[in-house]
Amino acid sequence: MFAYLFRRTFTLLFVLLGLAVLIFVIARIVPGDPARIALGPLATAEQVSQLQEEMGLNDPYPVQLWTYLSGLVQGDLGKSLLTSRPVMDDIMGALPATFELVLFTVVLQVLISIPLGVIAAIYRNTWIDSVLRVISLLGVVTPGFVLAIILQLIAAHYLGFFPVTGRLDPGIGFSADVTGLLTIDGLIAGRFDVVVDALRHLFLPAIALAAAGIGQVMRITRTAMIEVASRDFVEASRAYGIPERVVTFRYMLRVASVAPLTILGLEFASLIGNAFIVEFVFSWPGIASYGVRTILQKDLNAVIGVVLVSGVFFVVANLTIDLLLGILDPRHRIRAGRGA
Amino acid sequence: MNPLLDIRDLCIGFDAYGQHRRVLHNVDLHVNEGERVSLIGQSGSGKTVTMRTIIGTLPMPPGKVEQGSIYYNGQSLLDLNKQDRNRLKGIGISIVLQDPMLSFNPVLTIGRQMDDVIRYGDLRLRNSRSRADRRTHMIETLNKVQLRDGGRVLDSYPMMLSGGMRQRVLIGMALLNKPRLLIADEPGTALDVTTQDEILALLNRLVVEEGLSLLLITHNLGVVREMADRVYVMERGHIVETGTRDEIFDAPQHAYTRELMAAVPPLYGDGVKTTEHEGTQPIVDVASVSKDFETRSGWLNRVTGSFRAVNDVSLTVQQGDIFGIAGESGSGKTTLAKIIMGLTAPTKGAVQIDGRSLDGFAGTQEFRKLIQIVYQNPGSSLNPRRTVGDQLAVPLKFTGFDKPSINRRISELLDLVELPQNYSAMYPHELSGGQKQRVAIARALSVNPKILVLDEPTSALDVLVQSTVIDLLHDLRREFDLTYIFISHDLSLMRNFCNRVAVMLRGEVVETGPVAEIFDTPGHPYTRALLSAIPVISPEEDALKPIVSKEERAAVLATSTELEDT
Repeated sequence: MFAYLFRRTFTLLFVLLGLAVLIFVIARIVPGDPARIALGPLATAEQVSQLQEEMGLNDPYPVQLWTYLSGLVQGDLGKSLLTSRPVMDDIMGALPATFELVLFTVVLQVLISIPLGVIAAIYRNTWIDSVLRVISLLGVVTPGFVLAIILQLIAAHYLGFFPVTGRLDPGIGFSADVTGLLTIDGLIAGRFDVVVDALRHLFLPAIALAAAGIGQVMRITRTAMIEVASRDFVEASRAYGIPERVVTFRYMLRVASVAPLTILGLEFASLIGNAFIVEFVFSWPGIASYGVRTILQKDLNAVIGVVLVSGVFFVVANLTIDLLLGILDPRHRIRAGRGA
Repeated sequence: MNPLLDIRDLCIGFDAYGQHRRVLHNVDLHVNEGERVSLIGQSGSGKTVTMRTIIGTLPMPPGKVEQGSIYYNGQSLLDLNKQDRNRLKGIGISIVLQDPMLSFNPVLTIGRQMDDVIRYGDLRLRNSRSRADRRTHMIETLNKVQLRDGGRVLDSYPMMLSGGMRQRVLIGMALLNKPRLLIADEPGTALDVTTQDEILALLNRLVVEEGLSLLLITHNLGVVREMADRVYVMERGHIVETGTRDEIFDAPQHAYTRELMAAVPPLYGDGVKTTEHEGTQPIVDVASVSKDFETRSGWLNRVTGSFRAVNDVSLTVQQGDIFGIAGESGSGKTTLAKIIMGLTAPTKGAVQIDGRSLDGFAGTQEFRKLIQIVYQNPGSSLNPRRTVGDQLAVPLKFTGFDKPSINRRISELLDLVELPQNYSAMYPHELSGGQKQRVAIARALSVNPKILVLDEPTSALDVLVQSTVIDLLHDLRREFDLTYIFISHDLSLMRNFCNRVAVMLRGEVVETGPVAEIFDTPGHPYTRALLSAIPVISPEEDALKPIVSKEERAAVLATSTELEDT
């Protein structure tokens, strides 16, 4: 297991390096002069060339790449043109909000989609299965931002069950200093009012984000469960007198969970993409809103930072899924460990 | 004395897609205490439905008991409530399923799975045992199935054990809660014949030692003869004949039973057909061929060792031969076939096909037209999404046929394998196993090859179907002057089909020669051990089998009770 972990982490570093270089290349290809944009249309040519010199834009590309990579290793992503603060600080400020949202979304996805998928498989070809099929299809076909606006309008605005925007009620004085996650820090501080309020704020954006994944993972869980149900060992376990509940959850679901988990990992990419829009709708002070603003302003350093962080997010999420699969399925672990 | 299991007038039907179909018709069957009873029938005859109904794992709906009753130990099973019914599972009646790989949950350790069986059994019996007691019980049970290193077995995952060990563990699983009736579905038939032999001996011993009654479900008549006191023959949901083992085997009454008996290729005796052929023109020449596979491991996936799958093999196949390559799983017979097919290059040695070296020749269109293959499982070697006609057209398209001539050729091919013309538009799932294999043969013949490699072409088929496919292969060989290379572990079939055989053991050919010579006077101890392990259907054949002592056997065969090095 240890060698497995090590190998996976090792490859992860290479993926990140590749990503960093790729972003660097893309950033040099896109048209437009960052120095000109930063200074605005009124700046003189001299001022622009001075800033270009300052930003290192006149160095040869290999030198620029080296400067960029060595800065990266030290956690230096350069300065944001938009906020005039180090990009790293901006991202660190916004990241916990997004992290909390995405984490909550994934938890929702797992808690909703897998049990519903199991239920659909158990009651396959009955009305229960049909209802769940419709729900999952609706989830898949409704774009995240449409769902976000509908939820905001109905559940928050008309019914008032949930807050419309933000992470925390402004009336509550609390700052998350330990992990940056309001729910966790609230728990640590023993402030249950904070936890409850944070969860209320999280709920609608998380549902909007989770819907597509829920639909997809539910269907895949159903299919995987039905496939596993026809295997000999299921019949054998029943015949040995193991109760149905244990057969379903310990024997079948464990084998069947490989496909849905893999999909959940891949789903992460679209989750981050969708978060850009959903955060915007709910004025969520996360990295996605930051990303949108910086892209529109062609704030290169900040865009690179955001893309890199999204990349790390995605890679780490998939690493986690891989480890989980290794725990769930010994074949996965042993094969990877042997390197076959 | 009342029978332990008594099935009376059982009728079972299925409702599927608005249609009603009856699959069991008035089945009467009983098993007395301590008796070994066999239920024989081909696939689709209703054996498995019968088994599932007894255990209570038949899904209802769509299944429905329309009539009849099942008594276990005087209790009417079909009238019990769910709780009482479940109480019998694994405790009164237990099962051993066919495939020892598929019958385990692949992601849980053996120990975990066995522990669950005991724990939930205890729960229903209102027993309680500590974890340590349960482990002791598991190790004791594994001892009963001759697995000495119980602790290590318990900590293993199913994939880490060999096929024979898994089959033993599976039998152990069924015994954990001390059932009185054991239902075994084709035990050992997924294993090599020597391992199967061990498993059958083990089951026979357990019946006596544990006081079990056994209901054996199988299509293998040889197994039945070694394992049964009484026999039921099932055909399309009807019990057509029943009697003691000797009655059935000495004087089968029903036409179907006789047909089954006649279709089993005899290993020895008057019934054996010998294919006579003396070729003079070598068509395949394998000269001291070896093949190594590299094993990789470690963080950087470096080559850390190699494994020799084929070791210094030389053989010559003459034009018109039916050349059998016999051997158990892992003996290298499939690798050798791949080398002859030009699909993998030998590490050492040279192969000549039709007088030409394979270097540079393998992979050319001309070579593909020379040699073709028919695989073991027609269910997976045919593309399920393309019609029979489409599949037959594929090799023709790649060898330069135009459209009208493709269609003409397809209809010729269907004629050749004795399939009706309209089958061209059908999909594989609409065909039976034997018909699918005919399509696979037609596909291999489409480019007029001289050599066909037959990789266990009938082992997925029922014995009656097998004999028709074998007849077809004989006809085709005569008509087109074909040469066959026949890979199989079924030595009885090989005796009746091939004219020459080579026996492989751990990558080496240990013996080769004319078929009658090898079978009548086997020289190598391994060949003798193989032949002696084959279950046959008459005492005459048994008497002619070589007698192999335990020591002789141990010298060439590893038993399936030892853990492999992992």
